[in-house]
Amino acid sequence: MSIIAAIGLGLVMGIAFGFLLEKSRVFEPGVIVGQMQMRNFIMLRIFLAAVASGLVVLALGQLTGIIPKLDPKATLYGAQLLGGFLAGVGITLAGACPGTILCQVGAGYRDAIVTLVGGLAGALTFAYLEPTLRPILLTGSPGKLTLHGLLGLPFWPLALVFAAVLIVALYAMERWRPWRTELGENADGVLPPAERVEEKAKTAAAPARV
Amino acid sequence: MFGLKEKAWSPYLAGALIGLLQVPAFIFLGTALGASSSYVTVSASLAEFVDPGIRALSYAGKYLDGAKNWWQVALVGGIAIGAFISATLSGTRRSAPSPVWARALGTKSTAARFALAFLGGFILLFGARLADGCTSGHGISGIAQLAVSGFIAVGAMFAGGIATAMLLKPVR
Repeated sequence: MSIIAAIGLGLVMGIAFGFLLEKSRVFEPGVIVGQMQMRNFIMLRIFLAAVASGLVVLALGQLTGIIPKLDPKATLYGAQLLGGFLAGVGITLAGACPGTILCQVGAGYRDAIVTLVGGLAGALTFAYLEPTLRPILLTGSPGKLTLHGLLGLPFWPLALVFAAVLIVALYAMERWRPWRTELGENADGVLPPAERVEEKAKTAAAPARV
Repeated sequence: MFGLKEKAWSPYLAGALIGLLQVPAFIFLGTALGASSSYVTVSASLAEFVDPGIRALSYAGKYLDGAKNWWQVALVGGIAIGAFISATLSGTRRSAPSPVWARALGTKSTAARFALAFLGGFILLFGARLADGCTSGHGISGIAQLAVSGFIAVGAMFAGGIATAMLLKPVR
């Protein structure tokens, strides 16, 4: 694929991606920090739904031959544990993931530009440190390990079973707490503080004073 | 229900549609959806103006050129455009930092938020590049391919994210 065609395709896919991220509200710092404090589960709902549909389409793609080859990343225990942990720290402090930073920029959050600059600086710092880190953390990969590979199974049956488990889990989650209750008045995942809710309940319960 | 002017779509529907974006990525580029390596492509391309030697680094060098790298830069840039369109249609354009920060940090200081935003962005991308992927690459794409790397990285991300969030003030 020529570079111009790739950029055109990337833009079209990115616009769809950004539109969906914005409509899903997962780019909201209130949703992300709320998820990490286990108070708001919108992020987990979106994430698991995206994984479930990905599993189904990749399974179908493999079965039909439309997607002949998957592209899993190599396993590197140390780098993925430490890098993943640091990324998680960053997700909470930034209130964003690398993709949703741009969603915040597009939606207008002023601090997101600063997050973006910080992200570029962090990526560049890693690029310069990579030769130093490579012998410590980035060598000795056991390969591109996958669950189906470890179990000696084809991808599609395991993927479809896993997708079914996720769909049941999402159904249970919606029964437990409907997603709309986590949205907040301004659709930013910020809900009234607990005290205020109690106060409101008290005021409502108290007889009206004349 | 799922109108273009709606502020929020069902997270299940929006999430499932995001998962479908894997299809064009695999069909046209033979690769999975990701976002974090574009930060290397952009920052290293900018750095090349002052440090042409960066091209010689084997890691940075492999992100400078090629269709896959610039496809991802366009993808990530497109996210901002798509978000702008969606927020404009639904009237949810934002300006000041989210009110969640005043609660989580216990201060309304914009300077404090900006400092934390820079630090957070820095750690986020440093960590994501060390792990070789972010919530898109390891999360959505990695787990959807049943990659062991995806399960490890996502588990570690939630561990780091939850540990940090517990140090902040409760947000609701």
